[in-house]
Amino acid sequence: MKVVITGVGAVSGFGWGVEELWCGLESGATSIRVPSVFDVEGQRTTLAAEVGPPDADAQAGIDSLRNLSRADVFAVIAAREALVRAGLDCGGSRTGVFCGGSTAGMAECEDFVGRIVGVRPGKPMLKLLASQQLNGPGDAVARDIGACGPVIGFSSACASGAMALGAALEAVRSGEVDVALAGGADSLCLLTYSGFNALRSVDPGPCQPFRKDRQGLSLGEGAGMLVLESLDQAMARGAEPLAELAGYGASCDAHHMTAPHPDGDGALAAMRAALEDAGLEARDVGVVNAHGTGTSHNDQSESCALRRLLGDRSCEVPLTAPKGALGHVLGAAGALEAVASVLALERGKVFPTAGSVPADPDLGIDLVLENPRRLPKASQTWISTNFAFGGANAALVIRSLV
Amino acid sequence: MNIVISGLGVVTSGAWGWDEAKDLFSAADPRPVNIDRSAGYHREGGARKALLVDAGRMGDWLSPMAARRMSPASRFAVCASLMAFRDAGLEPQPDDGTTAVVMGTTYGAAFVTEKILRQVFLEGPESVSPALFTESVANAPAAQIALAVGARGANNTVTQRQVSVIAALKQATGLLRRGSADRVLVGAVDEMSPLLHAILDRFAALAQPDDDGVETGRPFDARGSGWLGAEGAAVVLLEREDAVRNRGGSFRARLLGAGSAFDPGAPRSGWGKSPGPRAQALGAFLEDHGVSPGTVDRIVCSAGGLREADRLEARLIREVLGESLLPPVLAPTATAGSHGGVLLAGSVLAASGVTFGPTPGFAVPDREAGIVPHDGRPLPRPETVLLTACAPGGSAGWALLGRGEV
Repeated sequence: MKVVITGVGAVSGFGWGVEELWCGLESGATSIRVPSVFDVEGQRTTLAAEVGPPDADAQAGIDSLRNLSRADVFAVIAAREALVRAGLDCGGSRTGVFCGGSTAGMAECEDFVGRIVGVRPGKPMLKLLASQQLNGPGDAVARDIGACGPVIGFSSACASGAMALGAALEAVRSGEVDVALAGGADSLCLLTYSGFNALRSVDPGPCQPFRKDRQGLSLGEGAGMLVLESLDQAMARGAEPLAELAGYGASCDAHHMTAPHPDGDGALAAMRAALEDAGLEARDVGVVNAHGTGTSHNDQSESCALRRLLGDRSCEVPLTAPKGALGHVLGAAGALEAVASVLALERGKVFPTAGSVPADPDLGIDLVLENPRRLPKASQTWISTNFAFGGANAALVIRSLV
Repeated sequence: MNIVISGLGVVTSGAWGWDEAKDLFSAADPRPVNIDRSAGYHREGGARKALLVDAGRMGDWLSPMAARRMSPASRFAVCASLMAFRDAGLEPQPDDGTTAVVMGTTYGAAFVTEKILRQVFLEGPESVSPALFTESVANAPAAQIALAVGARGANNTVTQRQVSVIAALKQATGLLRRGSADRVLVGAVDEMSPLLHAILDRFAALAQPDDDGVETGRPFDARGSGWLGAEGAAVVLLEREDAVRNRGGSFRARLLGAGSAFDPGAPRSGWGKSPGPRAQALGAFLEDHGVSPGTVDRIVCSAGGLREADRLEARLIREVLGESLLPPVLAPTATAGSHGGVLLAGSVLAASGVTFGPTPGFAVPDREAGIVPHDGRPLPRPETVLLTACAPGGSAGWALLGRGEV
């Protein structure tokens, strides 16, 4: 069964919506700047890709959402946009929600704990925790759209969003659901900001994936949500599929809690599994949407895996890495980056990797820099990768239906 | 494809491993201990007890050097996984991607989160420990399992409150059915920190002291005031039946299927009164698996003494299985506390024909719930066990287990 993507929605450092996301990515700009959501004093970096205030249209949608966490709001707004694009007014027992996240309502939990220990003003209100749990964004989406099918949260750190999409793909294939809302959402919080600073894996400036003198990642926040359904169903109801979610693969390095396998063994296994699931081979890969965190080890490991996957073609297959523009949105990364892949396929262009000139020549990759690159017809298959703490790896294959 | 549970590992209050878990549920005598309230998180009065793991037993499974890099949850999960392998008669060996790990968690890394937030707020962000941070992600236990047993297949962590363990079973069966893994370590883990205990108590989820100062979960009892906070893990090794038979192994139980549904009309952090679409989904699930209500001969449920939650689960069960002649209903969380591992371990033990003692704390039936849980009488070994779980916010899940061949 072919499973297609009929709707996408996004909230990112570039704004509230997929057009804002695409315009930002296409321009080669970055949304990484000094955040306002908390005080960054004492941290090694003072930057993040924070989602700015919504415009009037987005605000109108948010006004009806009460007592949700920031991550919940991102997820709901992105899901609504995806459903509108899909032409669906969703709900019922045949609709499921599969949502990844790594922090969910942690920012609100921090406010609660800060009040308990007396460093933040006000009483510790329980409503701050009402949507604290990791399943919060998925539940909020399901409640908003009236979904009665399976609702499952995925929390495998930076691979969560891709894993949610993988599970949704299988739920549609197996007939468990007719429609799946799948993606991820995360918001900035002190816990992860301080933690990555403590690990010394942050770049003091905006992150520069695969650049020669890259220094680390920049954190971000946002959400990406996608509508998945069978091609047959989409055609029967007259919907216009945006792309096919053709395959998913996962693996684990079983090597180290934070360091990737130096030769990219696990990353390679996940990509091969995704291609096999799609019924494709490495020679079919037209574009790589890389995890590309901007840390020395991660980019080295990932490029090694890509060289092993693509062989001589590794320096010919265009590679882009959105974290220079969007920051690392952790549990939402796989979903937001999948949305970016769909938009790129739809528009026939590969967006550039922000801020990464000059690329590291030792990595053996063809990094798209500065300007978008037109997609040749033979490049209509993207592989999108995400690699997480603990060595959990996930890869998605997204194809044009043309 | 028939999927079986070839090994079970359990780490919970009062039990390390299969034999002790059997004894624990037969005795049905929970022994909660005082939780540390010195940080000042707790309200006045309120719950004081929790069912905590005896960490002194860990040395049989995990070296101090390995354990020092792990959160309590990771330690529980790794120990339970090693037990599951041994129970299956296997030795873990690094593989080429054929062993997957799927873990469920309700609350994630409670201890580490609390510690890091205290460091950030009281000592400044530069004081945060990098080692602690790596264990703060919800998938740290699954990752530590993979490191400990060399599992290079898919590594996934799901979280859907009390339904997490069932969601994990569902994901794991999919991996086996698609041929993405030959075996899957699947389970649930949670740890009980003072902060989490205090928060649950503020939400009025935990059992309150009675007139004698006793705190106990009272499933389906009119006096139920909450569940017993708890920590622990259970992990099972899932394999295809033919693979187990080919290597001359046996299995504890069959896993016939798992599923879940959501009620978007449920209160966001409450339980609601009607199972609504969840009941239709459970009915359809049973029908899809060729199981009529009359052929379910044991129910293992998540009810733990929080009346609103127990009533919802009771309505779900009664609406689908009928108002009368319900099979015996086991509530293992009354014995070992409320964590996902208890549900998994309880259902596997039940499917294996283990004798369960009388439901702790139950004496006065809650008429609105309308279920009288198991009274401890000897029961024939069941053919089909239904596991149910309800969560605040709208989720419910279920799994079907069949008897094993051990």
